[in-house]
Amino acid sequence: MNKIAKLFVTFISAITLALVSFTSSFAKVEGEYIVLGSAISLTGKYSSNGVHTQNGYNMAVERINKMGGVEVQGKKYKFEIIYYDDESNPKRAAQLAERLIKQDGVHYMLGPYSSGLTKAIAPVTEKYKIPMVEANGASRSLFTKGYKYLFAVLSPANQYLEVAIDLAVEKNGGKGVKIAQAFEQDAFSQDVRLGILDAAKRTGSEIIIDDKLPKELNDMAATLAKVKAVKPDVLVVSGHTKGALTAIRQISEMKVDVPMLAMTHCDAAKLSKQHGKKSEFALCASQWHKNLSYKDKFFGSGKKYAKDFQKEFGYDPPYQSAESSAALLVFKDAFERANSFDRDAVRDALVDTEMQTFYGNIKFGPGGQNVAKPMILFQVRCKGDDCENRVVAPTKWASDKFYHPIPKWSERS
Amino acid sequence: MEKVKQKDLILYSGLIILGLAAPYLFSAFKVQLTYLCVLIVLAMTWNLQGGEMGYNTFGNILFYGLGMYLTASVQVGMFFPLAEWTESGGEKTFVHTTAQYFQGIGVGLLVAAIIPTIIAGAIGYAILGLRGHYFAICTLGLGIAAGEIAGGIEIIGAGQGFTTPPFPAEIVDAEARGKFFYFLSFALLIGTFVFVRYIYSSRFRLILNAIRDNEDKAEAMGIQTMKYKIVGWMCSAFFCGLAGGIMGGLIGYIDSTDVAFDGREMGVFMVLMAILGGKGTLWGPVIGATLFHFFKEGLWTLILGWQYVALGVLIVVIVVYFPEGLMGWLREKYPERFGEVIDEKDRKAQVELK
Repeated sequence: MNKIAKLFVTFISAITLALVSFTSSFAKVEGEYIVLGSAISLTGKYSSNGVHTQNGYNMAVERINKMGGVEVQGKKYKFEIIYYDDESNPKRAAQLAERLIKQDGVHYMLGPYSSGLTKAIAPVTEKYKIPMVEANGASRSLFTKGYKYLFAVLSPANQYLEVAIDLAVEKNGGKGVKIAQAFEQDAFSQDVRLGILDAAKRTGSEIIIDDKLPKELNDMAATLAKVKAVKPDVLVVSGHTKGALTAIRQISEMKVDVPMLAMTHCDAAKLSKQHGKKSEFALCASQWHKNLSYKDKFFGSGKKYAKDFQKEFGYDPPYQSAESSAALLVFKDAFERANSFDRDAVRDALVDTEMQTFYGNIKFGPGGQNVAKPMILFQVRCKGDDCENRVVAPTKWASDKFYHPIPKWSERS
Repeated sequence: MEKVKQKDLILYSGLIILGLAAPYLFSAFKVQLTYLCVLIVLAMTWNLQGGEMGYNTFGNILFYGLGMYLTASVQVGMFFPLAEWTESGGEKTFVHTTAQYFQGIGVGLLVAAIIPTIIAGAIGYAILGLRGHYFAICTLGLGIAAGEIAGGIEIIGAGQGFTTPPFPAEIVDAEARGKFFYFLSFALLIGTFVFVRYIYSSRFRLILNAIRDNEDKAEAMGIQTMKYKIVGWMCSAFFCGLAGGIMGGLIGYIDSTDVAFDGREMGVFMVLMAILGGKGTLWGPVIGATLFHFFKEGLWTLILGWQYVALGVLIVVIVVYFPEGLMGWLREKYPERFGEVIDEKDRKAQVELK
């Protein structure tokens, strides 16, 4: 025991030394850099959307830095982001937020991907009074907790598909419809579900299937078999990227005929590319589309952003990337208006944000959510084998008419 | 209980002083240190089954998750309607006063210790008759099932998760929360260590070992193995429940499968840490958990995106080169330091025979 004890003591003291040398403090602003921190899902179930988010952040950092950076008190600063991988796990995310703040000395945070992870990080940033601009936590409950340092550039999750139900009711001559729905068991998708429940109540619609999908989502055949049997008017599916891919794959395999299919995350899943004609007529909720007419001086229009993004990363930007880029524009604007690096001054400047970006207008409500931007709906439409997302609602930006009902599989070529 | 030797006494008091001073010395690392304490507790309790008793359980995560949900539910439910707290993903906000917060977490932890213990007794009675792989697979199912079930119970937030009460805002010191949870977990660690050390000097451990080495013989000798297996598991459940309760408060957000019944991470880690350090030893899980945590915190961020590959390599290295863990490896290399007497002549004779 004696020797082992000695060994253990040596081990402990080595660690102690290592830790002490580690605790060198970093600064929120190092030289000409403003350091932002973010825990992002680079691995795990949200990894594809985590990468979309990171690409969006990086694209904006590069662009802002290239175009002169951020001017505070007459001096130009550049943005820099410290990333950690939260492994799509809320526990890890909360721990990493703590680490970014306490060990890396980060004073300003960018959000992670997904509502669940944002829910885990928000209490930490709030405790240390660190302003966080997040672009991917849409859950409604994030904005009712009285968080003072949380700002979201996106619309809350319950608004995602409410419009789709309204559309269905309208097509049904104003009468209530029969809704079948299946949602992943996670904070975001369950919030989308709440939105549908509200819409159903409002329009007198009836929910005839209300299923939960597992987190490791790769099969929803059971739900679809029920859908085939009861023939609802609308099928609603939400479960991040995997949910969208699984739904289209199995709906086409099982030849499920349903007049209207409403989903989320079609663009993040690159549905129109991956499944081509099989995904045609799917109706998708989105925070952003490149055809919208918003503009700013960094990215120009949505179309220009999409083109630059395509050049940089080799794929069409999903809204997750666009909103993430917008988060940095918000930060830049707030720093310049605060004209200070004081956290509370920056926070107060964020409260007063009122701006237009290529992604949409941004103005924060009392809970921190963006109240200046509506959700949009697009529908996948194909010409030959070439499929595209076309905006169908709201009418202001609609490039195509909403196609309803979806033709039966037996009639589709 | 065997008398604590003087040298050990120095070691223990040194470690306790280090533990008490740690949150002040390494103020920025409080949360990681809290995790470390919890990881050690999980590894030590897993070792009671996996190491001492020879029953590889993946089910301890069940008690950890239960403890987490129970603490949070009691903490909320004592003062506010729980159903409204979790409704719609926690849209409504109620604020705990400082007194309510601490009373809540106190009672919550108490419940989080007792109920998992009872459940361990009940489940143990049902499944501890299984042996070997059958037991392992069965317990694996327990953790997974619990996660899925919890994800469907509305009153604890279902799929939307459960936001635990925030630390009272009246306490202005931003460090207070970190310190509170650190000392809580450190106290739990000491409690667990003292308890496990006590078990190591008792007949109870010998019985567990007998079960591991040959359960049928043990039974033939008149030991009621079932009784001891169940009691052993209940002991683990007690500490796992407490560990879960503390973690729930610290993380601030409970998700059914990713945070509470997190068999994929915590559930695997506790096994890995115990094996890394050396199962069936007192210090093995402690050293294993410490090494593992430092490996994870130090290296994982350097190899962004590849950390699970590195973890896989680590597992392979452990299994191939240190199947008995670090302690086992040391014991083989320096047996005399573990108090094992070696007859040199006999050893040489064996070598020559070969």
